[in-house]
Amino acid sequence: MADEFIKGLAILTGSGMVWFTVAAWYRTEGFGGTQLIAPRPEEDLGTYGEALLVIGDIALYFALIGAITFWVLVPAFREGRRAWEERQRAD
Amino acid sequence: MTERDHTEGVRTDGGEAQTDGGETDGGAGLPANVPPDDQTPTWHDRKARTQGLSRLTYEYFERARYEDQVLRQESDYVERDVLAFPTWPHETIRNLAITSFFLGMMFFVSAALPPHLPDPADPANTPPVILPDWYLYWSFGLLHLDPINPNLAILGGDKLVSDRVYGVLANLVVVGFIAMVPFLNKGSARRPVEEPFWGALGVAGVVFAITIAIVPIQNIVAEFIDIMTINLLFALSFILPVVAFFIAYAVLKTMQEGYMYELNKRYYRLRPPR
Repeated sequence: MADEFIKGLAILTGSGMVWFTVAAWYRTEGFGGTQLIAPRPEEDLGTYGEALLVIGDIALYFALIGAITFWVLVPAFREGRRAWEERQRAD
Repeated sequence: MTERDHTEGVRTDGGEAQTDGGETDGGAGLPANVPPDDQTPTWHDRKARTQGLSRLTYEYFERARYEDQVLRQESDYVERDVLAFPTWPHETIRNLAITSFFLGMMFFVSAALPPHLPDPADPANTPPVILPDWYLYWSFGLLHLDPINPNLAILGGDKLVSDRVYGVLANLVVVGFIAMVPFLNKGSARRPVEEPFWGALGVAGVVFAITIAIVPIQNIVAEFIDIMTINLLFALSFILPVVAFFIAYAVLKTMQEGYMYELNKRYYRLRPPR
């Protein structure tokens, strides 16, 4: 159980840091404007910029889905299987 | 490394050498010391030690325990009931790892995302919203309790103390209560489920810290949410903590029995009473 927690936390924080960096570079208008979730800039970002935007999106979804998987889905699946096995044993 | 290796011949309590019950006592049929069934590690426990992080942790602790025992055997110092690791190398290397991690994080963040340096303050221009630093919002909210500073009939409808003094008194009351908590509760509980009342009180306190922080900016919040009026917001900032208290208390009380049962089961299997 503790293993699952640290896996989820590592994914959330590590991948979240990647998203956070990319979002701060390309999705932030300024200190006073929208931060981290502003629409992507209009000008040409070049190959690296485009790639970083994609990586940022991937990192965001990986962080969210990874955390949900290890904190909710995997424990729920195990609990469900345990309950099912106990019901089988009771019958 | 088996359990037997480091239990044989080690005498920590001055009595018989403890074994794990694997040998017989001269053909009497039963081993000298048979652990009860609920204290024997299950197959699940044994399997959990054979892989991954749990194996690493297990081996690390076993190694530390073994070194401890060797030291005890070689020296004549008096056995103490202390479980600890030596400063060098265990604690030092661990602390170095943690320090390096946080240093790296700071270097990374400061290099990749340099902080915003605002313009110098303009003394001729007052900003529309004035707020203290975020960790003082709750205290700032307590300074805005004018609506509940009572007008006393005995004073002809006047207030006993000014609103400013009332706010400062409210701060004193809240801080005074927080200062009293360690004397009211000794903190023997390790988790909120063990003492639902105090757990729920903590939840209510956190909720109150959030709701009271909204009081100074309630006109701004009321503009954003249609159904909110300033009066409703003010009332909610005192009602919500009470509601949170009862919800948290109900949840913790419901969890308590099952949780304590599981906890005791696990605790006594891992560390059987002597």
